Amino acid sequence: MKIAACSKTYGKRTVLRCGELTLEPGEVCAVVGPNGSGKSTYAKLIAGVLEPDRAGRLVEEAVTIRYMPQKSYPFRMSVEKNILLSGDDRERARELMEKLRLTALVRQRAGSLSGGEAAKMALARVLMQRCDLLILDEPTAAMDMESAIAAEQLIQNYRQENGCAVLLVTHDLSQARRMAGNALFFYGGELCEAGSAETVLFHPEREETRQFLEYYGGFAKR
Amino acid sequence: MQTALQKALELILSGDRELANILLVTAKTCVTSSLIALLVGLPIGIWLGASRFRGRQALVVFFRTMMGMPPVVCGLVMYMLFSGVGPFGKKKLLFTVTIMIIAQVVLITPLVVANLETYVAAIAQSVRETAKGLGIGPWRTFLLLSNECMYPIFSTYLLAFARSIAEVGAVSMVGGAIAWKTNVMTTAIMLYTNRGSFTLGVALGVILIAISLLVNIAVTVMQRRLSR
Repeated sequence: MKIAACSKTYGKRTVLRCGELTLEPGEVCAVVGPNGSGKSTYAKLIAGVLEPDRAGRLVEEAVTIRYMPQKSYPFRMSVEKNILLSGDDRERARELMEKLRLTALVRQRAGSLSGGEAAKMALARVLMQRCDLLILDEPTAAMDMESAIAAEQLIQNYRQENGCAVLLVTHDLSQARRMAGNALFFYGGELCEAGSAETVLFHPEREETRQFLEYYGGFAKR
Repeated sequence: MQTALQKALELILSGDRELANILLVTAKTCVTSSLIALLVGLPIGIWLGASRFRGRQALVVFFRTMMGMPPVVCGLVMYMLFSGVGPFGKKKLLFTVTIMIIAQVVLITPLVVANLETYVAAIAQSVRETAKGLGIGPWRTFLLLSNECMYPIFSTYLLAFARSIAEVGAVSMVGGAIAWKTNVMTTAIMLYTNRGSFTLGVALGVILIAISLLVNIAVTVMQRRLSR
């Protein structure tokens, strides 16, 4: 599927500029880069929650998109009802809750969950329905390691079952390496590198990418 | 003060018919006006808080300004509109409970709108993004957003009711504080004080605060139950 070239400007400040991209069905593409580099803005533009400078969808109308924002909102209802907001398949909801170890919290109010629990609930909620493109913005940032690995497994299963493409915004380069076949590196609101995860994370072309990745020891050694 | 409290108790226990009438008119005016203001202000507040359109900020500033409108100014405008020479003079509503309710609705609605707008604006973006990400349509998103406002709706109602029951400027101007007809607690206190009946005035004040306390307790209990 093609993602059109886009830009986003606030007043006179352009916060994102990105060329056209292609995602293959079943592909996981990691979006990495420092804070404020435009990763989340890019995810929002594709998801349609933010309007690009040239109005319109960045992907074809026929493509169904599901998106989990960085701060997914816990609605004022039980965990189970929150998950069932995006689909009424109780069996599927139960299965997701079990895999994410949320079963004990089914009747608990979403507002009273810890950050990690809320993130698990948000992930379960977005995985309730089938889609063509799944966009996840820092889905495991608030989770402990064990939960993050379980969540990654769940995302991979979902991708395999549905054959959908996954755009994964993450700060965790190890996660990007574990999950993604391709990667995009954003810096200063621009897409600097795009290619296989191996190339972008270990043999980047641009100096900015190299400098950023060096902080994560083991990545992009000179 | 002790005499006033004693007098208040005596007044309540004596079953004074004039007091009963004042209480009835007060309840009718305050409950009706605060409920109408809530019904009108609630959708406007949520819509203003959740939407982004040209002129939105101007509307927010308008409602915030109206929130601080002095009741006597509101009463004066209503008086001019509904007096014999005013555009609505033929309705003959001046010095009735109806015009008192209308004046209070005009006075309280901006309070409801501004209060809810502030709350909704803080959560709307996050709610919208989450709902859109889940493929939830605009109408269901609006319902979800309204459900999120359950707690502030109660506190906003309390604010509206408090403003209504404590208000004297507008109701006295358009209602005229006519005994057995448009006299409410606040205007009655003013009348008794002007006549030199301080004890009676303070006694009514005590009853007024007691009513306010009871309504607050009732609404807070409801708020706790429904917000769980």
